Amino acid sequence: MMQSQITSRPRYRELVAEDTAGAHLLIVEGDTLTPRQMAALAAAFAPVAERMQTWLVSAPATALAPGRVRKLQTVEEAAATLEHMDEGFGIADRLYLQGTEPFMWMLAAAATRAGLSPTQIRMQHAGSLKRRVWCTHCHQTTENVTTNIATCAGCGRELLVRDHFSRRLGAFMGVMVDAEAPGEVPQREEVFP
Amino acid sequence: MIGETLELTVVGVDDIAPSLRHVRLAAADGGQLPPASAGANIQLRLQGEARTWRNAYSLISQPGRRDVYEIIVRRVPESRGGSAFVHEVLKPGDRLVASWPSNLFAPQRTARHHLMIAGGIGITPFLSYVADFAHNGASHALHVCCRESETATFAPWLQDCGDLNYYWDADGHRLDIPALLAQQPAGTHLYVCGPAALNDQVIQAAADAGWPASHVHCEHFGAALSGGTPFTAFLSRSGIEVEVGESESLLEAIERIGASAPCLCRGGACGVCVTGVLEGEPEHRDHYLGADEREGGQLIMPCVSRARSARLVLDL
Ligand code: FES
Repeated sequence: MMQSQITSRPRYRELVAEDTAGAHLLIVEGDTLTPRQMAALAAAFAPVAERMQTWLVSAPATALAPGRVRKLQTVEEAAATLEHMDEGFGIADRLYLQGTEPFMWMLAAAATRAGLSPTQIRMQHAGSLKRRVWCTHCHQTTENVTTNIATCAGCGRELLVRDHFSRRLGAFMGVMVDAEAPGEVPQREEVFP
Repeated sequence: MIGETLELTVVGVDDIAPSLRHVRLAAADGGQLPPASAGANIQLRLQGEARTWRNAYSLISQPGRRDVYEIIVRRVPESRGGSAFVHEVLKPGDRLVASWPSNLFAPQRTARHHLMIAGGIGITPFLSYVADFAHNGASHALHVCCRESETATFAPWLQDCGDLNYYWDADGHRLDIPALLAQQPAGTHLYVCGPAALNDQVIQAAADAGWPASHVHCEHFGAALSGGTPFTAFLSRSGIEVEVGESESLLEAIERIGASAPCLCRGGACGVCVTGVLEGEPEHRDHYLGADEREGGQLIMPCVSRARSARLVLDL
């Protein structure tokens, strides 16, 4: 019954509304939103529509969504709003996230700081596979990484992007690629389109 | 009994209500006791004239206290002679053998708020919880369902309780479980300890409301449920046959004839006593085995479960 401490990457699944007595909040990364996806979400959340809010982040002005809709400009704004909601979260509430991994994990971290248990959060990946990369040398993060090797935004090292994922940081580990054999940097390829 | 044992001396017995006896125990050698955390229990070996009982009791003493263990024992009128023994026979100066404290019901340290629901004598683990929470400044609330006449009984242990509420069986005084569970903040952990019916109701209500199962915790004290129709148990490895009487558990019968059987909670919760069944049909009363294992019929928890058939053959 305890929370898992395992830091590997979770499995993302198609969002389904859980019919709990609590409030339901869906946050969608707007530019991943196709009309088809929106229709799927509306259908999935129909059973809890009257206890439901949807936040659209950086969405086109014309986008529609289930429940009471609120539009936010950036994921940072959404995270800050989430963390400082006046009413706070209840134990039966659910948070549903849809978007890229950096987007979802930034919001999951904010929700966790607001007291939400990981077991109350559901995620569905959509859009780009781009990664946030955490440099194990300078501890800075580099955003929007789509390649197997990335230049660290903090220290400029060439980082090999590993599959090891930290839920706390919402980021993948990046380690200096030529630490063993300086100067030997393999070909950079786009692997997380 | 698991692990090492402790030699204890009874240093005080007090009747705090007609059916509730408060017992204080110290180390028989005058030394320090092993420290116990909030929610811990000990198993006492109660040596009656004709038989021995082994009963588990929650420690209600301040967590970490080394000089004395305190327990409260409710007298159960039918079955289980252990509680009657404590009420009628036990007196200051008596020696007892006990297990080391074990804890199957410790509070969750990461909780933002601790919500406790107690039914009757199920309040005992929460007495040490409250001491712990008050000491650490942890947010907590205790909801106690008990007899109207017992609302003052536990007051000495609850002086530091932040949010204390009593309920009893009269109009306007019953606990509305769904209402209570509906309005708790995220990060709350729920603990329930009481009769099986209350435990089940609370767990069900939490699930219905949408509580994550990871935030719901329950302690069963099923000891009173271990009696029933007599049957025969055959211990295949040692080749011994034992009659299990109507007021003793299968585990007690096994212990009575001197066979050793592992156990810890003696309430069907911890899983330590799990034993293979080679023949016969178990009547499962534990909270440990899953539905598949129950249906499989090849495992039994002898501390609480019995037999549907006249005879059980155990892999013991
Ligand atoms: S002793 Fe714990 S389940 Fe039997």
